[in-house]
Amino acid sequence: MADEKDVMRARDISQVSAKQRVGKVLFHILVYAFLIIMALIILFPFYWMIISSMKTYEEYIRSVPTLWPHEINVIANYSNAFSQASLSRLFLNTLYVGVVSTLLSLVITVLSAFAFARLEFKGKNALFAALLATMMIPGELFTITNYQTVTVFGWMNTYTVLIVPFLVSVFYIYLLRQNFLQIPNELYLAAKVDGTSDIKYLWKVMIPLSLPTLISITILKMMGAWNSYIWPRLVTKDDHSLITNGLRNAFTANDGTTNYPVQMAAVAIVSFPLFLVFVFLRKYIMKGVSRSGIKG
Amino acid sequence: MVDSKHQWKAWIYLLPALVLILVFTVWPIINTVRLAFLENYNMMTALKGAKFNINFNNFIKVVQYPGFKSCLLNTVLLCILTVPISTVLALLIAVALNSIKGLQKFLQTVFFLPYVTNSIAIGMVFAAMFNMVGNAYGTQNEIIVTAGIINNIIEFFGGTRVNWINVGSSYLANMTVMVIYIVWNALPFKILILLGGLQSINKQYYDAAKIDGTRKGRILTRITVPLLSPMLAYVIITGFIGGFKEYTSIVGIFGEKLGPADDAGRLNTMVGYIYDSLAGKHQGRASAAALILFGIILVVTLINLRVSKKRVHY
Amino acid sequence: MKKRIFKAVAATVLAMTMLFGACGNNSGSGNADPTAAPTQGTVADPGKQDPAPAAKSLAETANFQVPAGGYDGKDVTITFYHTMGSSLSAVLDLYIAEFNKLYPNIHVVWEQVGSYNDVRDQISTELTVGNEPNIAYCYPDHVALYNLAGAVAQLDALIDSKETVAHADGTSEILGLTDEQKNDFISGYYAEGRSFGDGYMYTLPFSKSTEVLYYNKTFFDKNGLEVPKTWDDLKTLCQKILTIDPNCIPLGYDSEANWFITMCEQYGSPYTSASGSHYLFNNDQNKAFMKTFRDWYQNGLITTQTIYGAYTSGLFVADSGMKSYMSIGSSAGATHQRPTANADGSYPFEVGIATIPQVNASSPKVISQGPSVCIFNKDNKQEVIASWLFVKYLTTCVDFQAEFSMTSGYVPVLKSVGSNEAYAAFLAKADGGAYISALSAKVCLEQESAYYVSPAFNGSSTARDQVGSLFVTCLTKDGDADKIINDAFKKAVDECEYSE
Repeated sequence: MADEKDVMRARDISQVSAKQRVGKVLFHILVYAFLIIMALIILFPFYWMIISSMKTYEEYIRSVPTLWPHEINVIANYSNAFSQASLSRLFLNTLYVGVVSTLLSLVITVLSAFAFARLEFKGKNALFAALLATMMIPGELFTITNYQTVTVFGWMNTYTVLIVPFLVSVFYIYLLRQNFLQIPNELYLAAKVDGTSDIKYLWKVMIPLSLPTLISITILKMMGAWNSYIWPRLVTKDDHSLITNGLRNAFTANDGTTNYPVQMAAVAIVSFPLFLVFVFLRKYIMKGVSRSGIKG
Repeated sequence: MVDSKHQWKAWIYLLPALVLILVFTVWPIINTVRLAFLENYNMMTALKGAKFNINFNNFIKVVQYPGFKSCLLNTVLLCILTVPISTVLALLIAVALNSIKGLQKFLQTVFFLPYVTNSIAIGMVFAAMFNMVGNAYGTQNEIIVTAGIINNIIEFFGGTRVNWINVGSSYLANMTVMVIYIVWNALPFKILILLGGLQSINKQYYDAAKIDGTRKGRILTRITVPLLSPMLAYVIITGFIGGFKEYTSIVGIFGEKLGPADDAGRLNTMVGYIYDSLAGKHQGRASAAALILFGIILVVTLINLRVSKKRVHY
Repeated sequence: MKKRIFKAVAATVLAMTMLFGACGNNSGSGNADPTAAPTQGTVADPGKQDPAPAAKSLAETANFQVPAGGYDGKDVTITFYHTMGSSLSAVLDLYIAEFNKLYPNIHVVWEQVGSYNDVRDQISTELTVGNEPNIAYCYPDHVALYNLAGAVAQLDALIDSKETVAHADGTSEILGLTDEQKNDFISGYYAEGRSFGDGYMYTLPFSKSTEVLYYNKTFFDKNGLEVPKTWDDLKTLCQKILTIDPNCIPLGYDSEANWFITMCEQYGSPYTSASGSHYLFNNDQNKAFMKTFRDWYQNGLITTQTIYGAYTSGLFVADSGMKSYMSIGSSAGATHQRPTANADGSYPFEVGIATIPQVNASSPKVISQGPSVCIFNKDNKQEVIASWLFVKYLTTCVDFQAEFSMTSGYVPVLKSVGSNEAYAAFLAKADGGAYISALSAKVCLEQESAYYVSPAFNGSSTARDQVGSLFVTCLTKDGDADKIINDAFKKAVDECEYSE
């Protein structure tokens, strides 16, 4: 009985606003069309990477690029990629550096962002502006001085040298501070009245509330380890090298040209675990954080 | 609010970050400033014990560079074009993604995919998409082997093909390609951040708006944007900072020549100049140029911060 | 370990004394200035009587002097930076093992450092703290850069040394190069080591390549075409090819910069100079040949890689659509100039290889490319001596040069490699299909006397980049030819002088 009533009511509404409904459907179609077109554009390089990894070198260097390989060379390229670069060792190195530096970096970022967002101290704004300013100098200029510094510290060819110099990122501190600022101060003051310690408050309230941002930072930081090239090449030898070093160097043919199809195959191989991580983490990123009852 | 206990605590929280920044960021900056004032400083001759005069000559030399004006112009143009475009697009995509139900998971994954696509692949695909292969353009012997994927699409819809990046291409065409590429590159990061922000917005606001029958456009400008303003401020400010440091994207499309083959260096930027000077033997000049760039970014960021202070709602 | 670091710090922070000039070289003048005239050495040592005073004085004033007793046989580890792919480093490993049979106490550690430019960038950073390797792959402009720091060992004293060095197997050799060994180097390659304007020897050639003309032999034979010997021949030939196949670009040239520099060399017109005013290429002779090429380009006879927008080798081997019938490119890239094999293993057409066209066919000039090796000066003189022994071994060992060349497609730097059994067998197989690398190597060895080297100085790579761009502009830009050419030359010189 109740169901019938509901249906009736729905019908009434639908008759009243048939126009609105058409509009709504049209709007949805537009939204989907927009998203799908953008998705295709976004996907194209990924597609290119995959098909390039399946081409023969001869096909790859043709004047007119082919959108689908004429001759599929998957097995040869992928097995070459595996055998030419000692991927497993590089992979473990990268994973280790990525995980350790992400964890440490998160701790440092959370503490600093908390200080900038919630605590009051003299010169806070000036200090924050100064930190922002450090982002404005092209990082390439730092390489040589930092190289000299880590040599003095005796860190050459260790994991430390790959992790420590890049632990602090003003980008991330800034990002997290923005997020923390959105969390109403009333919560903090209430916690203080209750006698909750800062750390406990951070752990119980701030961190859960800014989980999406923290996960974004994790992803970016991990990608950093995956893509870093110049610094690891400079400060490490074989046994501490990272994945990009292996990727760039292993596929140079003897005449100095790069065998791009094999290189792409290797890129695809090392991208796969990352892809899995994404698929897995997506749930957490997207999990809406409920904050009922408080001004957003 | 400011009591001594807080002060003490704040510095403790900041300590690890500050120590690392002092060692790995501030110290190199001090070094950069020092080198900028040493005339014709060169790392190699310095090793051999050369002495350098202290003056402003490096700065003068930078400004005297024949391509300095165009480096500056390219840098500024790329920045003021790409930051607004990419921010608006990312916002629209994030809002659209947030509003749909079917395919949502799939599309979200798709928009993250660029993160696992290696940068080598991205540069190559863009160059290939716009690349025209042929010879003797503009003469009666002109030959076009392939006009490139983008031109194929344009011609499919009845347009005329454009020489985007090859010999004889126009500055306008070059810039268009750069803007598209840079926007593409910037999108995933911005979508990620904005989507993260959107997920934290309380659904009640939207429910309230629905009951009031507020129109979609109005919801976007009156509710979503203000509530998202801290994240928007973040992507805009960091976008400007990144935009002023644009360089690798140009190498990705045009290669080391930084322009179409018949006009090398046409798209060079400030950081491109710094790179060249560093790789050569002009560390002094590179440092001076970096300080000039720093000055420019600083001014822009201060303006940005001032604006965002008025507009951002926390 | 700590002590070493401390030393490195001291060297960096102070950066006052020359890194290496101060380490006990008896010339006393600390003469490591690469621009210093070679005659200075003669003045520093007036007492000696010698039939060849200039050469002698170079050895005596070189920034590395062999200590009394030469090689001491103690344990020493030396590092070697190169850019070899995995198949080549396998060959290297093989010969390191051979080398260790003679010198078991010299431990060679190599590192594959990306591209040639990566090697340069890495070493220039490492030099600031004294972490540079002992031996490195190099191009002349890299050495010119390291020389600003006085970091590269001048080899003259080592080459001339008559010290005896004992091998582990009881045999021995002299530390320096014998006359036979010196004469066995292909002279154009060996000369590169002295192209730095001060007369000192800085590098030894390691493995080399050049540019050769690839042509579609099947097409040439079918149409009765002759391989061009001169540029005039080439022009006529290109026009003829266009009448046979109007839908083609007869010639594709890979590298614009090489083309420009080679033309200067062939005409004998100035390009650059290692001393004095460096950039001499803005002259009427060079403008004249650029005007000719512009004309050829506009008439559809030629293209280059950057103008064409894709690999010119891809154009040459194309099986359908647009084609070219000649391609000038690196001799080491021969396999890329071969079309994809048919299903039965045969090739759609046969490739012929010849010396590139010349201005004067009786005195040909072809560019010399490919890596040399340099040795860095070190506090521990034994490291330098061990490095020298290793470099000498690799560059003068016929078996190594033969095997390395066969694997890489590069050409050996020694004349006598041609008579090495394995290599001779390799050359004998030369054909325009399966053994195209051998054919390419054969052509390179036949033109042994034609190699030239351009002067190396700090900025020689800028000049190279600039003439490459200038070449493209002169060919393609719309408007009045003379004005375009004049402007392009002026712009190129301005850019070079700015980065001085």
